[in-house]
Amino acid sequence: MLTNFRSMFFFIFAFVGMATAAPVVSAAETSLADYQYVLHISDMDPSKQELILNNASNLLDAYPPGAVEIEIVAYGPGLRLMFANNVHAQRIDSLSQSGVKFSACGNTLNAMTKQLGYEPKLNPDAKVVPGGIVRIGELVKQGYIYVKP
Amino acid sequence: MGDKKLFKRTLIGAAFATGLTVAGTAGALDWLRLQGTEPAGASAPVKVWGFIQANYQKDYGSANATGQYVPAKLLGPNLNAQGGFNLLHVQVGVRGTGFPLDEHINYFMLLEAGNAATNRSSGGSNGAVVTDASVTLNYIKGARIRVGLFKYPGSEEGLQSLTKMDYVNFTEGANFLLLERFPNAAYTPNVGPFTQTQLQNGSNINAFTGTAGGFRDTGVQVFDSFDLGKDWNLSYAAMLGNGSGIQFDNVDGQYDQYLYLSAEKNLASTGPANGLKFFVWNQSGQRLADVTNDAVANRILYQRDRSGLGVKYMAKPYRVTFEYITADGMIFEGPDKPSYYFANPANATGTNNGANAKANAWYLDGGWYIPNTKWELDARYDTMDANTGRNDEHTFGKWTLGTQYNINPMSKVTANYEIRQYNCTASTAQCTNANGNLKGVGNKFSVQVTAAF
Repeated sequence: MLTNFRSMFFFIFAFVGMATAAPVVSAAETSLADYQYVLHISDMDPSKQELILNNASNLLDAYPPGAVEIEIVAYGPGLRLMFANNVHAQRIDSLSQSGVKFSACGNTLNAMTKQLGYEPKLNPDAKVVPGGIVRIGELVKQGYIYVKP
Repeated sequence: MGDKKLFKRTLIGAAFATGLTVAGTAGALDWLRLQGTEPAGASAPVKVWGFIQANYQKDYGSANATGQYVPAKLLGPNLNAQGGFNLLHVQVGVRGTGFPLDEHINYFMLLEAGNAATNRSSGGSNGAVVTDASVTLNYIKGARIRVGLFKYPGSEEGLQSLTKMDYVNFTEGANFLLLERFPNAAYTPNVGPFTQTQLQNGSNINAFTGTAGGFRDTGVQVFDSFDLGKDWNLSYAAMLGNGSGIQFDNVDGQYDQYLYLSAEKNLASTGPANGLKFFVWNQSGQRLADVTNDAVANRILYQRDRSGLGVKYMAKPYRVTFEYITADGMIFEGPDKPSYYFANPANATGTNNGANAKANAWYLDGGWYIPNTKWELDARYDTMDANTGRNDEHTFGKWTLGTQYNINPMSKVTANYEIRQYNCTASTAQCTNANGNLKGVGNKFSVQVTAAF
């Protein structure tokens, strides 16, 4: 029952995120960082939220300042990480000030808005991108190391 | 009365103070938020959780001059042996946010299937019972609303999770004054004490028809926490309940009122469970009790008030807790006295009757977490003075020395040795009789395994 619910929830938002995203070909983003990571969250499981933030913190700690660039991309149920009232909001703000970027899937946001009847308020540190899955593709193409904890 | 009004005004003022910001996260000792809400944006639709507590206890109390045993010398909740293994708590529950996109509604459910006071009465049955089933509505900033059956806001000992208890048994004050036993509908004469032979034949001293309240009630609670800055949070709760524990009735037609206020400094930067909390609480209600020794069910409405205040400091490796409790009305006189009588059944009303007596209690608890080990040393002194000023006034005092071995953050072994001193302190005939039983109350050893998931 629980598995079915989670699967359905995940499928709906993942499908919306993938199928309706208009591919956006952004200009090549230049970076002086030696390492670039894209961290992906689309899970319902709350423990994954803490895990992905820990990943970002550990990467920042592992490299000298400026040597690593990190972007966390959220879609599907994972977008809850970037809700304004998320319990990790303070930590997200701290990571953002350390240079970590947060990208929120616009397609997921639209789907959630339809379900809720209002648009969920996002963390001001999160930037809405047209499609989460598309954003990950763009970053991987640019050479980012893809990690899904 | 003046103090009560002042307390209420303070509480209301705190709740609706416009300059305060609702706290984002719950402090380590903020039981209201920890039990009544889910973490925003990070809760599961269904989180299965629970714990098992299995223990062994040995009571070293001796029989009275005629070879009889009173309940204080027997192990609860069965009260028919002085030593044995018990599966005290088997609790399993679910909690979460049913529709995870909408953080406004949380739920909390818990079943008890062990052998505890909350699911055992004179019938002897201890099937699974619902001890918690509540819904929290988080729509109004500063005024979350929780409805259903849940732990009422009150003493630290009752409000904290059983898995966080540092001792096997409650203090005398919590056991007698707060862990409520409910009067039977009709007068029930004293039972026991029983002889060893009778106990071996399965005598049951418990004569209460209902189970203990479990520090819970069914009703509605308004509560929240506010960020005061510098890591201080102010929490409040106000609740109306049936006053019937985990039993869903309101036979007296009255409602219990519960008020709670706490200020907590979050010391999470020094450790995940660390904090400093000051708290004050009050509950007020009525109970129907038949205290006349006759065949007529002529129940009288008695006032039942409880108040307390205390402080808890937790910053590993140290822990200190102090709480003072006062009680007015419906003083529990022991499981063999279901009509609240202490000594003489022929004189069940008036000065000997706990239904309109007073009591007070306090405890001081200290813990030391031995650095770089999984061991912890605990010591607690608690005392209760019941039927204050009456000719059967009695004082129960207890030292509890203990150690805990924290196997992992979810599992531990607790070992306790209780040194007990029970006395009927008034110089009256009632006390002569009572002390004949109480002087044989001895020490108690217990060891318990707790495993949570």
